[in-house]
Amino acid sequence: MSAFLVYLITMTGIYGIMSLSLSLQYGQTGLVNLGQVGFFMVGAYVSAIGSTILGWPIALAFVAGVLGGALFGVLMALPIGNLRQDYWAIVTIAAAELVRVIFLNTNLGSPYVGASYGITGIPSPLQGVLGGPYYGYYYLALVAACLLGCYLVVQWVSRSPFGRVLKAIRESDEVAQALGKNVRAARIWTMAIGGAIAGLGGALFSHFLGFIDPTYFMPLETFLVWAMVILGGAGNHLGALAGAIIIQLLYNGTRFIGFGEEYASLGASLRMVLIGVLIILVILYLPRGILPERRRRYGVRDAAGR
Amino acid sequence: MIQILIDSLIRAAELALLGVGLTMVYDVLRFPSFAHVEFGTVGAFIALTISLALPFGPGSSLVIAGIVAMVAVGFLGVATDRAVFSRLRGNSPILLLIASFGVGIVLRFGAQAIWGANAQSYPLPLMRPWLIGDGRLTPSAAAIIVVALVTMLLFHFVLNRTTLGIAMRATADNKDLAEASGIFTERVIRLVWFVGAALAALGGVMLGVATQLHTNMGFEIMLPVFAAVILGGIGNPYGAVLGALVVGFAENIGLAINWGSLASALGLATEDFLFIPVGYKAAIPFTLVIIMLLLRPTGLLGEKRA
Amino acid sequence: MLLAVEDISMQFGGLRALDKVSFGMKSGQIFGLIGPNGSGKTTLANIISGFLKPSSGRVLFEGQEMQGKPPHVIAEAGLCRTFQITLNPRRMTVMENMLLGAARQTGENIVSAMLQSRQVAREEERNLERARDLLEMVGLQRHADELAGSLSGGQKKLLALVQVLMAEPKLILLDEPVAGVNPRLIEDIVAVILQLRRAGHNFFIIEHNMQVVRRLCDEICVLDMGNVLAQGAPDEVLAREDVLQAYIASGGVAGEGVQA
Repeated sequence: MSAFLVYLITMTGIYGIMSLSLSLQYGQTGLVNLGQVGFFMVGAYVSAIGSTILGWPIALAFVAGVLGGALFGVLMALPIGNLRQDYWAIVTIAAAELVRVIFLNTNLGSPYVGASYGITGIPSPLQGVLGGPYYGYYYLALVAACLLGCYLVVQWVSRSPFGRVLKAIRESDEVAQALGKNVRAARIWTMAIGGAIAGLGGALFSHFLGFIDPTYFMPLETFLVWAMVILGGAGNHLGALAGAIIIQLLYNGTRFIGFGEEYASLGASLRMVLIGVLIILVILYLPRGILPERRRRYGVRDAAGR
Repeated sequence: MIQILIDSLIRAAELALLGVGLTMVYDVLRFPSFAHVEFGTVGAFIALTISLALPFGPGSSLVIAGIVAMVAVGFLGVATDRAVFSRLRGNSPILLLIASFGVGIVLRFGAQAIWGANAQSYPLPLMRPWLIGDGRLTPSAAAIIVVALVTMLLFHFVLNRTTLGIAMRATADNKDLAEASGIFTERVIRLVWFVGAALAALGGVMLGVATQLHTNMGFEIMLPVFAAVILGGIGNPYGAVLGALVVGFAENIGLAINWGSLASALGLATEDFLFIPVGYKAAIPFTLVIIMLLLRPTGLLGEKRA
Repeated sequence: MLLAVEDISMQFGGLRALDKVSFGMKSGQIFGLIGPNGSGKTTLANIISGFLKPSSGRVLFEGQEMQGKPPHVIAEAGLCRTFQITLNPRRMTVMENMLLGAARQTGENIVSAMLQSRQVAREEERNLERARDLLEMVGLQRHADELAGSLSGGQKKLLALVQVLMAEPKLILLDEPVAGVNPRLIEDIVAVILQLRRAGHNFFIIEHNMQVVRRLCDEICVLDMGNVLAQGAPDEVLAREDVLQAYIASGGVAGEGVQA
């Protein structure tokens, strides 16, 4: 396998984790979180700062990144827990921008760390033991394991009675409230779980690249993750993963269509136009995505042989 | 002091022009359009291309080009409604919101594909600013304020004297009744898109006159515009103008205030001089929105819902 | 008194929707709240169920003050409601809707769902049994695995009714349970409500259909323009001249209902 292919699959895995996080928040619960990149950034920066400036062990930095994402989710949801989803859209996109503005303007420790300089020298886990020509495969295995873990968590949450409440909130918070469910608390929990997963994605990202700066965390990333969930099928977590793979293929595959050096910028623009058009077409003609949500069947009594 | 007043008014002019259309679309179709500010970007660039092609002096070329751009973008607004939003009537506002996110991406990157990713300027001559007290007012800045003022007066006239205005005010009074009596015919909806997008184009041209043109210019002003619209009570055009003034002044005053004495009085800092760094300016409208949502989610001029 | 409303007023901007409304309902009753359109019935229902905060006054449920508490707290206290337009999640199956209805589920708290998985499984089993019984009672058992959105209007009303029963409430507030339902299904719904009443359930019903009100209610209260016009047994109250006048003044449709 070429190094680029390993890189591509690893990145797809990280995006898959982001997409699972949004699948829980939007697909399952209907929360319009347009600030997904903010969680990604918090996870990446907390973990990077922990393992470089603060000198923590990498495992601890990862945990901190996950907790940072969860905490950010809670903070984001607190003021808007009871509000309509159009307010959620605006507040979440603004919160993510706020995070970026803060990291873009704040020096961390010495003058050339943080702010627009970013953070360099982020260590890779177990480099000492596994380092060498095959390290990329090991990191890919780590990402794959995390992805599987996240999928199991999201799937378990969705099938629990708590997940049923989330599904009810997706369509009508009034009915959920009238049946005694604490909608605000459920939304805050969802943002915490989704935030933790996205935080993990961020931590994996920063330790994978070894270098991060604020330009990696533009609002466009949020749009890509949304494209994955919408295309894959909101409400089907496997669909979210399928969407991640397709969008990654599209996004990276179009790099090789010959525009030549002088048209690189044009190619990048057209690539985004293409993904934008694709999303609009999916919303118009395939609103349930390529893998529609599946019904959970309990069976009728006589059929179940009771 | 006068400089702050001038800067704030320019900012408020841009925000109001972009915000009024956004709030109108919300009023009629019940979703916040994330594509709206991109009409400003497209309008600004169309005006640039046309003004460069016109044989008149730079000032009058831009005036003509601006008017043509408004009309063109007005039709573009109607076209996006025909192509996308009209097909989603009756769907959940969340779906429309996400579709608008997609439309916004297509518009922004479409503009980038056509006009490139580099910053450009209108070919306006350097003009000697007038000195008013300690403030400097360039003729183009004065023009921005006057154009916005005249536009708002015209808009006030439209709201009070035309079918569109009557239909819009009817919803402000009683949304359910207005919807039940079918006041929003497709014709009115088309008018709203036309007027809203044309005003956004004018806002984009003003933004370009005040600084530079860039394909990210719309996206960068999106959050302050949303802040203005939410502050004024989303769906209320007068509120949007009021909100634009609040945000415009808050951004400029917030940066100009010496917070040192306040901070030391609260025991937060010991410096005598403490200013908010310019980089954090983007955080000001966001903070306003959060405070507003916590205190009064319906906005300054919003009404309580039953 | 099971439910008492004391001096409830509600102000929207300059408009006074409710003006010092007071009444009470005893346990073991089907209590009806009626009134012409715009009389404030729905506003009152929203106040009782916690979706609106009254400008002043008290709502007492089993002697406990409820006004201004969030809806889920009121529902947990045993006062559950349905909605005029059934809002049941359409993209959930009928059975999922039913299981959602059960109150105080261990598994609805994500932490206890993790720590007490056996308890959660036991509850699910029990709730599933109960849901099947209730669905059989209203004849929806064959639709258990269909999406709620695919049911007919009347079936949705029935689903909303049995879903609330899953919560084992002490008082059920039904907001227009037969509005927009075809006559044959109205019979079914009325029969179910009467059957449940015999089984000891309490109902607070807001309804436009006077025939249904007469057949169901032990006691009714008439609201007109935000004031209580009359309270008492349905036959007496509906025979009163001022009640008739209020309906006629508000326009034909509901007025015909009174004479019917």
